[in-house]
Amino acid sequence: MRKWIFLLVIVIFSIFEITILDYFKVFGVKPDLFLICVVMVSIIFVFELRWALFLSIFAGVLKDTFSLNVFGINTLLFPLWSLLIIKLSKNILIENNFIYAALVFIIVIFHDIVTRLINLTLGNFIPLIIFLRITLIESLYTALIFPLVFKLNQPMLNYKK
Amino acid sequence: MNPRLNSFKKKNLIYLVIFVLLVLLLSSLIPALRQPILNTLKYPLSLLTLIRREVGGVIFYHRNFIQVERLKKEIGLLKQKLNAENEIYLENRRLKELLHLKQESSFKVIAARVIGRSADNWSSVIIIDKGSYNGIKRGSVAITYLGLVGRVIETTASTSRLMLINDTNFAVSSIVQRSRQEGLVSGALGNSLIMKYLPQDCDIKVLDVVITSGLTDAYPKGLLIGTVIDIGEEFSGLRRYAIIKPAVNLSNIEEVLIIVP
Repeated sequence: MRKWIFLLVIVIFSIFEITILDYFKVFGVKPDLFLICVVMVSIIFVFELRWALFLSIFAGVLKDTFSLNVFGINTLLFPLWSLLIIKLSKNILIENNFIYAALVFIIVIFHDIVTRLINLTLGNFIPLIIFLRITLIESLYTALIFPLVFKLNQPMLNYKK
Repeated sequence: MNPRLNSFKKKNLIYLVIFVLLVLLLSSLIPALRQPILNTLKYPLSLLTLIRREVGGVIFYHRNFIQVERLKKEIGLLKQKLNAENEIYLENRRLKELLHLKQESSFKVIAARVIGRSADNWSSVIIIDKGSYNGIKRGSVAITYLGLVGRVIETTASTSRLMLINDTNFAVSSIVQRSRQEGLVSGALGNSLIMKYLPQDCDIKVLDVVITSGLTDAYPKGLLIGTVIDIGEEFSGLRRYAIIKPAVNLSNIEEVLIIVP
């Protein structure tokens, strides 16, 4: 049941991302709720790899649908981040809001760097100064709101299978 | 080596290869998936936009009230101005007829409501609730009564996607209204635009109004783009650039007009 609720949460988050969140932009940048979903599913479904990957791909497909990418960059990258987080959380104990926030911060930076590199390869150039501004603000903003979003979803984490 | 362990590893490897191939396939299918997903989510998006608008109206009641009073005064002034302009327009039309000048066809517009925005920070895109069924085509120009907004880059039967003028991939040939100085306006993914390729001796000043030049076929001449707020020199020292504040507040557009031929 928890998995289906999470599926619904991803759909709701995606609708929020493309509607309401534009009014919470800081210096023209909004947080990435899709990546927050990926980190959450990776933490929650740490022992259910298949579901973590499926939900990450689902989030990626939705993000790509509302983006301008030629192909599904996020569909490719999200399961990769999910795998890395699961691998990491099996080796390191991640049970602290600060560590969660730091993890999200790093993941957003990695994601933006890889996205920029892929875009550059495809000939879609974004000036470096704009890239740095967006990456820095987006990673900080996403990391800062992650504990709050995670807490709001806490009842779901305690929901029995 | 243990044959059972070997077979387990082989099995896992096969699963991994199948998984990677499936993800690659799905990723290449994304452009085809956009249309059905957008059409499915059109109504929840419209509903959420409506709720947000109504809640915003209640929360910002006082601000809106003051704004309405101010706008009422402004309308009075503008009506007077419009009457004067109308006289000039009629005079202009009469003179053009006298000179047998070819009349430019006035464009038809379709009003559409904004129902969604870009999911990432790397593009500046909005989704509207009208599509090819309503006559919107790829490449159509979008405006508001304040000025240029962007152009249509994708259409489905009932929705369209617009690239806003502050997207880095957007570029439109433009001129400074006062001096007729030409340049290329493009976006910077923020609240301002950049007018590039200005010569060192260009005649441009802060507060100059920038409009479309009509050199780019798709954009009719004279659409208001914005006002110059800063002028700088490129790193190479060969050219100058101007920072432009868009006439339209791109972060909270609710309705747009699509120009159709």
